Amino acid sequence: MIRSHLLNMVVFSALVAVFFAFLTQRGTRDRLRVILILGGSMVVLSLVLAYVMYPFPLR
Amino acid sequence: MSETLAEQTIPKARSAAAPFAACFLAWLVPGLGHFYLGKKVRAAVFFVVVGATFALGIASDGAASLIEERQPLTFLATFDNVALGAFDLIGRYLTYGTIVYALPGNEADPRRAELLDRLRARVRSVTFEYGNTFLLTAGLMNILLILDAFDIATGRKD
Repeated sequence: MIRSHLLNMVVFSALVAVFFAFLTQRGTRDRLRVILILGGSMVVLSLVLAYVMYPFPLR
Repeated sequence: MSETLAEQTIPKARSAAAPFAACFLAWLVPGLGHFYLGKKVRAAVFFVVVGATFALGIASDGAASLIEERQPLTFLATFDNVALGAFDLIGRYLTYGTIVYALPGNEADPRRAELLDRLRARVRSVTFEYGNTFLLTAGLMNILLILDAFDIATGRKD
């Protein structure tokens, strides 16, 4: 069981990226590109969004 | 005689039953539909990826959804879980100790209380939300795989 939120996010992003790379692309190069772009953007955009939301109180 | 452009780019359709067999197998076990269609590498990758997503969901205390008439979204969540085929049966057994799809409507039913107790035990876990997200994502992945297997079997996609 993974308790780290960041690690959960990275693992989730990696699984989704590999899935869509193999679903939508055929060549190894194209698949790698999708894995890097999709997986990377999921993690980076989530961190950016979290940073932007940080100053806002929960209520 | 040279092939037309359409013949070069669009693979020929298989037998009439192939799309249904591929969809059924894809539903039954993630990747099995692609294996049936001869896409063995993709089949292996899909099995591992969807299987890992499902396994992480269960390991993180995610719970298979139960239909509750007063909560319409539970229909969608249960449909999503059921899309995992055999994996869903495993998930339900591990969550509830039996294969069950709906919560009894009668609040006095002891079976309802037992199922809710098993569900609450998972909901209290700190990783329940992670687990549920993994489980629902695995179901959505397999729905896409079923549609993909249909497209390959009908010749719309390679």
